[in-house]
Amino acid sequence: MTDRFIHHLRVERPVAGEDPAAARARLGDKFPRPALRRMTHLGLLVGATLDGLGLGPEDALVYATTFAETRALEDYLASFPTPSPLLFQTSIHPSAVQQALIARQQPLGRFWPMSGRHRLVEHALLTVFMEPAARVILTGGEERGTWMLEHHLASDRAFAFALALTREPAGAMGRVSFEAGVGAETAATCPALDEFTDVLAGRQSLHWQGANGAWTLVWS
Amino acid sequence: MPDPLITRLKILIVETLRLEDVRPEDIPDDEPLIGSPRFGLDSIDALELVVRLEKEFGLKIGSSEESQRALASVAELAAYIRAHGADAGA
Amino acid sequence: MNPAADHFPAGIAACDCLTPLGDADATAAGLLAGRRALQLSPVLGADGGDLVPLALLGPMDETLPPRWLAALRGLVASIPADDWGSARRPVVITSSNFGVGSLHAFTRGRDPRHLLHGPPHACVEMLRREFGWGEQVQIFSLACVSAHLGLAHAARLLHAGFADRVLALSFDFVSPFVAGGFHSLKILNATLPAPYAARETGAIGLGDGAAFAVLTRDATPYRLASHTLHNEMYHFTGNRPDGAGFAAAATAIATAARGRRVWVKGHGTGTLDAGRLEAEALARAVPGAPLVSWKGSLGHTLGSCGLVELAVALASLRAGRIPGTVGGAAPSFTDTVALAPFAAAGYDGAILASNAFGGAHAALLLTHD
Repeated sequence: MTDRFIHHLRVERPVAGEDPAAARARLGDKFPRPALRRMTHLGLLVGATLDGLGLGPEDALVYATTFAETRALEDYLASFPTPSPLLFQTSIHPSAVQQALIARQQPLGRFWPMSGRHRLVEHALLTVFMEPAARVILTGGEERGTWMLEHHLASDRAFAFALALTREPAGAMGRVSFEAGVGAETAATCPALDEFTDVLAGRQSLHWQGANGAWTLVWS
Repeated sequence: MPDPLITRLKILIVETLRLEDVRPEDIPDDEPLIGSPRFGLDSIDALELVVRLEKEFGLKIGSSEESQRALASVAELAAYIRAHGADAGA
Repeated sequence: MNPAADHFPAGIAACDCLTPLGDADATAAGLLAGRRALQLSPVLGADGGDLVPLALLGPMDETLPPRWLAALRGLVASIPADDWGSARRPVVITSSNFGVGSLHAFTRGRDPRHLLHGPPHACVEMLRREFGWGEQVQIFSLACVSAHLGLAHAARLLHAGFADRVLALSFDFVSPFVAGGFHSLKILNATLPAPYAARETGAIGLGDGAAFAVLTRDATPYRLASHTLHNEMYHFTGNRPDGAGFAAAATAIATAARGRRVWVKGHGTGTLDAGRLEAEALARAVPGAPLVSWKGSLGHTLGSCGLVELAVALASLRAGRIPGTVGGAAPSFTDTVALAPFAAAGYDGAILASNAFGGAHAALLLTHD
């Protein structure tokens, strides 16, 4: 059995229809002002969940997103035939985390940006479990798309979360466990990223079978 | 009498880079444009400006090094446009 | 600020690549002969634009099915058969761009079939079905150090006992989406790249590239001994001017290489500031170690460069000669830059380093007897 203990939890689930300008107004105090004008909705949300963690080079960070910088992608594509360098840069995964950490000038040792869909949460947690760093931050999120959403290439809602996970049980608010080679007492499969975010927000328990083992999320 | 090209450039800078808290007249003519802590502009802003300037004035800036030279200050940029641009207009 | 290195040794059971010069053996031979795969081509493909250095396997405009699928089929056919994608045989796929060129093709022609493989997860799902892999396919993407992440993660899977063998696959194929973006950054221009050359203007080229490695716990002649990762988070496209980011990564991997006589394959895209900082940091960390870059010939294969260039390094070691810095020119930033090929004899390891947007640095230590 492999355990990691949750010592920080922040979830952002903005009201439906919040646009980047509204997010800047709502979350602007968490970022240096000069950086704000170029931040995307996803960058603001992910950055807000990482606020106050005091990230340092000894930490590791795992970042999970299925669709990444949807609006920057849409806008960059629209800028052709004279492509925008800013939008090109911003559209490249893992821009959201980089926007926040560059704005705060927070170097990081190991950074593991991931993508995927059905098994993304599980793969991200495996990456967390294999990290030797004393503290591993697991963060993720999506932003709402426009035309890409119409083609099912974007999330229909914006959200973000961040967990700080360590091997230290004392004072933990919750625990994530993986037991290899064991069948879970459930037919449930790996949650999607948005479902996982909702589970975190509601401090719900979760059990599922995957990666040849049983996964558990419980709260203290 | 303010240089109309310099006035036009300052408006373009504020618009292109979405500098919400900056008025065009706040931008000095001769101080460094990029890297100055006063406006928080960096090399990506410079490149974004270059794309707009190339469209607006028919310029062709070939390298990042040339971009840095052209954008040393608003006055330097105006001089560069007058020397190289097809549509300086002033 | 000294990041530690991973010391999770993994054996390399198989490794190959595909570039416009051919497979790993052909690419290494081409580099030894000083061949340049880069040619001046329109930056937006069929839509024209400025001529820029590109090394392509074919016209870069996106097709249906995508132009890179046939190339990957050929490469994947040479992967040793196994139950890839099963719990004990996971696949780790890395890329900077995946199928993003198809999104640009959609905006031009509005054919919705391009969208089926545009986003990373959809692109990988297409590949998973195409090659009959199971569900354990993990995706990492951190711009031009993506392949390094895949290799480091694969080594960790083995070390942690979560896998018996791991297939690491990495690919990046140029598209107008990508070429247009780098051209807008003013670093992809009409000048051919000259890695580590101390000249007035920097320039890069872009190249198609794909590679795989099968990693194992078994003893093999060539091994990935260590990995190091560091992220400056200083600026999206620039590095700390004092070179501290490069120094952090170089020092960590040099420490892992202590006691070995190594040569260095650097990132060396042809840009000036980063090239100088990288060369100087490596020269300080590994004094006297010859430094090469092959991007002056192959172009920058973006997220795949770490694994493509690993495959070329292995082929070079088997051939007994290490290609020099094709396209490089004196004077170089440091006297450690090797412009000409040199003998592999006498070395028992190599450091392979890559860097990326956001000030990301990655390096691995390749060892052999």
